[in-house]
Amino acid sequence: MPAVMTVDPRSGVPIYLQIVEQVKRSVALGILQVGEQLPTVKQLALDLTVNPNTVARAYRELEHDDVIETSPGRGSFVRDNGSTQSAKTAASDVARDALAIALREAKSVGLSRNDVRELIDTAIDRWFPEEQ
Amino acid sequence: MSSIKISNLRKTYGQFAAVDGFSLEIPAGSVFGLLGPNGAGKTTVFKCMLGLARTTSGLVLFDGKPLVPETFERIAYVPERSVLYEWMTVAEHVEMNRRAFKAFDPVRALELLAQFNVEPAKRSRALSKGMRTAVMVALAFARNAPILVLDEPTSGLDPINQRHVLSLIINEAARGNSVIFSSHQIGQVERAAEHIAVMDRGRLVLEGLVDDLKSDRKIVEGIFPNVTYSLNGIANDPRVLRADRTERIVRLLVRDDADNIATMLAGAGATGVRVLDLNLEDIFLFAVSPADATADVIAKGSS
Repeated sequence: MPAVMTVDPRSGVPIYLQIVEQVKRSVALGILQVGEQLPTVKQLALDLTVNPNTVARAYRELEHDDVIETSPGRGSFVRDNGSTQSAKTAASDVARDALAIALREAKSVGLSRNDVRELIDTAIDRWFPEEQ
Repeated sequence: MSSIKISNLRKTYGQFAAVDGFSLEIPAGSVFGLLGPNGAGKTTVFKCMLGLARTTSGLVLFDGKPLVPETFERIAYVPERSVLYEWMTVAEHVEMNRRAFKAFDPVRALELLAQFNVEPAKRSRALSKGMRTAVMVALAFARNAPILVLDEPTSGLDPINQRHVLSLIINEAARGNSVIFSSHQIGQVERAAEHIAVMDRGRLVLEGLVDDLKSDRKIVEGIFPNVTYSLNGIANDPRVLRADRTERIVRLLVRDDADNIATMLAGAGATGVRVLDLNLEDIFLFAVSPADATADVIAKGSS
């Protein structure tokens, strides 16, 4: 799993949030499957060359968001709550954040509510043609 | 796990105060990055912590106790300048450390030296600046000390060996040991340290968790249609730490609630209002450059 994970420490986005986001994305894309074990805090810290307390903070956040569960002595696992709920949650979190960035940008360049609605409708038609 | 507490530390050389009332708590098991421009007093803080310079006033406590000779067994120190004996070989330095420190692991020291590609048979005087740093780092990390004090531990090292030092720091943190290090390479501090302190002219000017500082501080930028505009007192808002302007562009450094300030700026007539993230370098530069350093900065309260 960590093979697909990278962090950019020079970014203004806190490192722990970058890790949270990428684990959620990996769950959403099925790269990490329900029940699959995550690397230990120490291992991931060494792989990414980031502070272990920062990785631990990301894992706590992921537990709080019900994406993973940690059992003492065994490690951290993608949560199996009887459905693919964690993957769905993770996917919508990732999509919502991306949409928020796009909308903020649209607003900053002065587009109106209607302009944005038009853009979104066009985009939906393009990406979901089968549901028209 | 060892904590360090520095209270109101002061060190003067004649009239000059190198450290001027510096207080800091370093929690056990944390990696603490000490940043500051040249001459800010970082090295002096380290020397006072370790009893290598006599403090003018103030207190340094390790686990609640002042420094005693036994404390040195628990602290490994990489000084800013080489303290290697020019006529001795690297292997002889390993042997000297083995005799001096009970927990020193000579096998580990040789392993680390091999990783840094340092030949143990070489005499110190034949080593480059980077190699000297590597030797001091290898000796310090073989100490098995619960506290590591590292003054510019990557100075003169190539990028591969710099990364190597970062991995060593991260490994110590994962073992629960405390590391305090200074570096001008902000990218390294951003990776390895979860906690930072910024010093300027002998004083502490900023302290916090790197990730929290990044979450809390944002730049709110807006463009006004012409040069005559009013900020409607936004610059006086306690959440606005400073306001800079160039002609029609206003940039506000905001702590907490940047979205709200962005809405207020748009309400004052600005267009193209954006909220921008700050990396540690930006945060550092804001901390050490006073608001009146550039002519186009609006002094707080004048708008």
